Amino acid sequence: MSSGLASDEVAEDYKNSLEDLTTNDRFQISNLTVIAKENTEHAMAISRVLENHIRTTPPAQKLPALYVVDSIVKNVGTPYTLFLGRNLYQTFMNAYTLVDSQTRRKLDEMLKTWKEPVPGSLDTRPVFPPEVTRSIESALIKARTAALQQQQARTQQDILTRGRVGTPPAWTNSPTPPQSMSRHPSAANQALPGHYQRNGAGHGYPSSGEPYPRATPTPQAQQRSEVDLSALNRDIEALIATARSDFANNPLEPSVQQRLKALLDLQGILQRQELTQEQLKLVRDQVSALAPRPAIAAPQTIPPSVPAVSTPPMVTPPTQTLSQPLQQLLNPGTLAGLIKATAARQQPTPPPQIHNILPQIPTNPSVPQPSVSAAPENPLIAALRAQGLLPPASAPPAPFTAAPPNVPSAFPLIVPGQVRVTPPVATPQTQSTSDSHISVQMNTASIKMCPRQMLISSLYETRSNRCGTCGQRFFATEDGKEKKARHLDWHFRTNQRMSEAARRAQNRSWYVDERDWIKSREAGDEQDLAETEASGEGVAGSDSTAAKKGPPKPWIHAPNDATLRNTPCPICQEKFESTWSEDVQDWIWQDAIKVGSRVYHASCYAEVTKDGPPPASRGTPSGRTGTPDSVLGKRKAEGTDSPGQHVRIKTEPM
Amino acid sequence: MSLPGLDLTQPSGDREFAPAPPSQISLPKGSEWRFEVAFGTTVRVKLLAGTAELFGTELAPSQTYTFSGTKAAIYTWHGCTLEVSAGETILTLDGLAPGGVNGPTARGLGAGGCQSEYVAEETPMVEYANVHFALETLRQEAKATGKDGPRVLILGPEDAGKTSLTKILTAYATKIGRQPLVVNLDPTEGMLSVPGTLTATAFRTMIDVEEGWGSSPMSGPSAVPVKLPLVYFYPMQNPLEADGSVYKAIVSRLALSVTGRMAEDEDARETGIIVDTPGILSQGKAGNVEMIKHIVTEFAITTILVIGSERLYSIMMKNFDNKPTASASAAASDERVSVIKLSKSGGCVDRDATFMKAVNESQIRTYFFGNPIPSTASAALSLSASSTTNVTLSPHAQQLDWGALSIYNYTIASLDDDEDEYDPSQLGAGDAFLPGGSNDMDQTPQKEESPAAPTLPGIAGPVKETVSPAGASTVPLKKLTAPAPAGLANSLLAITHAGPTASPAEVRDASIMGFLYVADVDGEKGKIRVLAPVGGRVPGRAIVWGKKWPGEVVGLVG
Repeated sequence: MSSGLASDEVAEDYKNSLEDLTTNDRFQISNLTVIAKENTEHAMAISRVLENHIRTTPPAQKLPALYVVDSIVKNVGTPYTLFLGRNLYQTFMNAYTLVDSQTRRKLDEMLKTWKEPVPGSLDTRPVFPPEVTRSIESALIKARTAALQQQQARTQQDILTRGRVGTPPAWTNSPTPPQSMSRHPSAANQALPGHYQRNGAGHGYPSSGEPYPRATPTPQAQQRSEVDLSALNRDIEALIATARSDFANNPLEPSVQQRLKALLDLQGILQRQELTQEQLKLVRDQVSALAPRPAIAAPQTIPPSVPAVSTPPMVTPPTQTLSQPLQQLLNPGTLAGLIKATAARQQPTPPPQIHNILPQIPTNPSVPQPSVSAAPENPLIAALRAQGLLPPASAPPAPFTAAPPNVPSAFPLIVPGQVRVTPPVATPQTQSTSDSHISVQMNTASIKMCPRQMLISSLYETRSNRCGTCGQRFFATEDGKEKKARHLDWHFRTNQRMSEAARRAQNRSWYVDERDWIKSREAGDEQDLAETEASGEGVAGSDSTAAKKGPPKPWIHAPNDATLRNTPCPICQEKFESTWSEDVQDWIWQDAIKVGSRVYHASCYAEVTKDGPPPASRGTPSGRTGTPDSVLGKRKAEGTDSPGQHVRIKTEPM
Repeated sequence: MSLPGLDLTQPSGDREFAPAPPSQISLPKGSEWRFEVAFGTTVRVKLLAGTAELFGTELAPSQTYTFSGTKAAIYTWHGCTLEVSAGETILTLDGLAPGGVNGPTARGLGAGGCQSEYVAEETPMVEYANVHFALETLRQEAKATGKDGPRVLILGPEDAGKTSLTKILTAYATKIGRQPLVVNLDPTEGMLSVPGTLTATAFRTMIDVEEGWGSSPMSGPSAVPVKLPLVYFYPMQNPLEADGSVYKAIVSRLALSVTGRMAEDEDARETGIIVDTPGILSQGKAGNVEMIKHIVTEFAITTILVIGSERLYSIMMKNFDNKPTASASAAASDERVSVIKLSKSGGCVDRDATFMKAVNESQIRTYFFGNPIPSTASAALSLSASSTTNVTLSPHAQQLDWGALSIYNYTIASLDDDEDEYDPSQLGAGDAFLPGGSNDMDQTPQKEESPAAPTLPGIAGPVKETVSPAGASTVPLKKLTAPAPAGLANSLLAITHAGPTASPAEVRDASIMGFLYVADVDGEKGKIRVLAPVGGRVPGRAIVWGKKWPGEVVGLVG
């Protein structure tokens, strides 16, 4: 109420400021915090803006925006924790799925601080209520576990499907919730071939966006003449064990995941297939190359000297090693399933606006071609195969390498077309009862009938979202949630106002007259505070008929000074009338405005200052403009741009 | 320990009352808990599990609701568990409980100190809910076809549960997002106002669980959204006073306003009207049927609900069933009145004169001073949980110059008793000018000076027409002249929206701004001391004296 601005305006301003925040700029963030602090009465609007912004901003800018949230909840606290906490799960998880692993680590750290009290604060409660943070945490843990399980399942799947012709895509058996995947099977397929194409063609891959430069190709020189299959197997097993422990330590590190997977794949191939000595030798070389360098990302470039294939020199795009396992970890299906599952328990927000996100993702210039039917492979295996070491796979083994390699900044989840799988679809199933058809005849027989349970549930169960304060019910739909949010805000504001109001005397207002009653519209509690206040004034202000309805007229406190009180309006020479204002609990002059030391009727003043080019048209001698008179001098000091107009006001009544 | 009625030791025990431990009440599906709480004591009820509703308004879980001076029932569709505990005894300003005529406040022996409480399995709630769904069917139709929503008239003898049914239908309608226009035509019990008023209110928000219908607007905020009533003053208990001419005229005027609102307010139009009536109308007296006809016509009633009176039901069937409604579009749309018979709830109890008097006093007290019962229902979200959410209002006491006021009084020889206890000083004058001429003579010279009362543009015409047949000259309103009658003390004055020099018909038909309570009359100096709800000058409007009804309210100002 301090600013008197409408929430919309504040929100709009805040939105603009947020859009300027592209980096982790401490100054900007603290600035945004201060704004939020000063506008707690618009907390709901600001919270909405923040949530929307986090949802729609490019992934690279999500972290700073989330830092604003962090700063606000820690420095301002309520009511922001209340508003932001409500949708925190959605906000956080949606951002989390879209950012890279480095940012995720920062998000993890931030989440950790939310479980603790604000540092240096006397309040021992955590920043956000535990139930809010707990749901996020458990979702993250589940996502990691699911990704691991999925990965293992896939590995087995790979092995099973290897060599079989026309095998159905592996993911139909994967732990991915089938409904969410199968809803857009073509989209998933679409994404797959591009990768293969890249593997097969092996050129045109940009290195500019490469985030892991250390994974540069390392030429292999070591050659051995004989290959011991069992020794090779042992080596691989040892490597797998290392990779597994690495993975356990660092489940989110993409290179580790990649490596583990590649090794498991290779092991499978070795166990199932008869490879020639030459092939085995190459495999062994690869493996031994891996062994001393466990830290380096798995895929190695095959030495160009090996003239096995006629294809252009093979370069395995290292970005794949980044993108592929991430893709698995937070596989769209898994995550969607998880979010969906947990969202049901949460107070869910609208599902993220995918259409808003999409245009902001740097789009892949070489969008995968759906016509290519082959499936992607693990780069290591692909490399082996490319050299003729492995027989060409005739069926797509797995969908896990769905990422277009050259979208390094965007998280691979955001593959055009595939992204549709991602949103947690909490589709409202319930229809508003006013839409559903109720048909009960108005006659005594029909009325005496037994209870219509179905209809009674329209009063209760259908509106499952219940206000804990007053028992009002809302639909579990998006609309209902929004209404409930506004309803809770109303409670919040009312309680605040009531504790404020308890300090001053209150009284019953006069009843409205017929005209006002007919014109009045019941303000639902979900309506804006400004509106309800305005209507309340309309009711209360009936003792000052001048102020009734219409735009609020300016008023001033009636001066205590007797001479001043008897001074008429300089323009119309009429005296001011004092009226008692309930709102200010003081005598006021309606329609009055103080300019300098003088009081005018606001309407007189407005009329005089508004009307046309004053001096000439009004016929006032222009010479008077410059007349040095004391009042004039005083007024000039107030620095108006159009002295002529004001001069008229001053001089006319003299 | 002591038997009811023989509890001579009870008064002393009352002072040292130690609250009984809260008792839990389990309600099976489809049953209700009926309870009565005396004035001066409070009972707290908390919903522990399940769902529960009080006259259709759902209780929030784990919130404490405080009741006082109530006879009510909490119903459950799904089964529930309630916790009932005794609240503190209310101390009023002068130490006199509102119902204190009985002496010491009577804390009952039931759970939580209820005077009476029990669980009832048989209720007419299914019927009432079916009525709601049938109305909802009509509302959907209205929405689809652009017709007006159903207009419901509720009839029945005294204490048959008319107002409870009105509440249930209103609560269900608002619960699913409708906005019914609720009209109270019962002058013996106010709705959102004091007794003696006829009101119309659009309900969009929840009805207050604890306090009747809720509250009319105040200068401060309220935990339960306030309702905005349109109020008319009918300072008599029986609608048939003066052959119903006054009542009829006010009903017509009220119906016009309501129709005007319906025409402009889409939500109200779709939802329709619910009209609650005084039980006295359902007595088989001559003139009652005529009065009901008048109401049915004025509000273009489509549905008549008759509670608990077979005889009235048959009369209504004869007169109205399947007749075209009075709405303008009735002929085109073939809209017909349906009459429905409903059972009376076994929970309906007679409210004796003492209880009703206490209810009335409490309504008047609440109008000026707010609700004295601390309510915790809505403090849950409040940051400062300690702050009580009960609203205490501060009326303003002031002295008024009798000569500056234009106060009218209804001069009707009561139907019940012919004794007109007029103030002696007034009698002579009153007899000299019998209704009619006197006012005209008084008013005519002044008419030019001041404009007429604010009347509704476009509506004023028809109103005048409906009034004039009855004869403007026979409006039994007379302006009081000096000196101020002593009988004014302790009674209510209604400030109308009509100008001070408006004609009697205009004064009668005008809606009111609010009430003044006369604390003191100084006839010699020509001053009266009044309590006004709002500070500042008392608006210079025509004022109507509620001499007969609500009558004297003692002890409002200490």
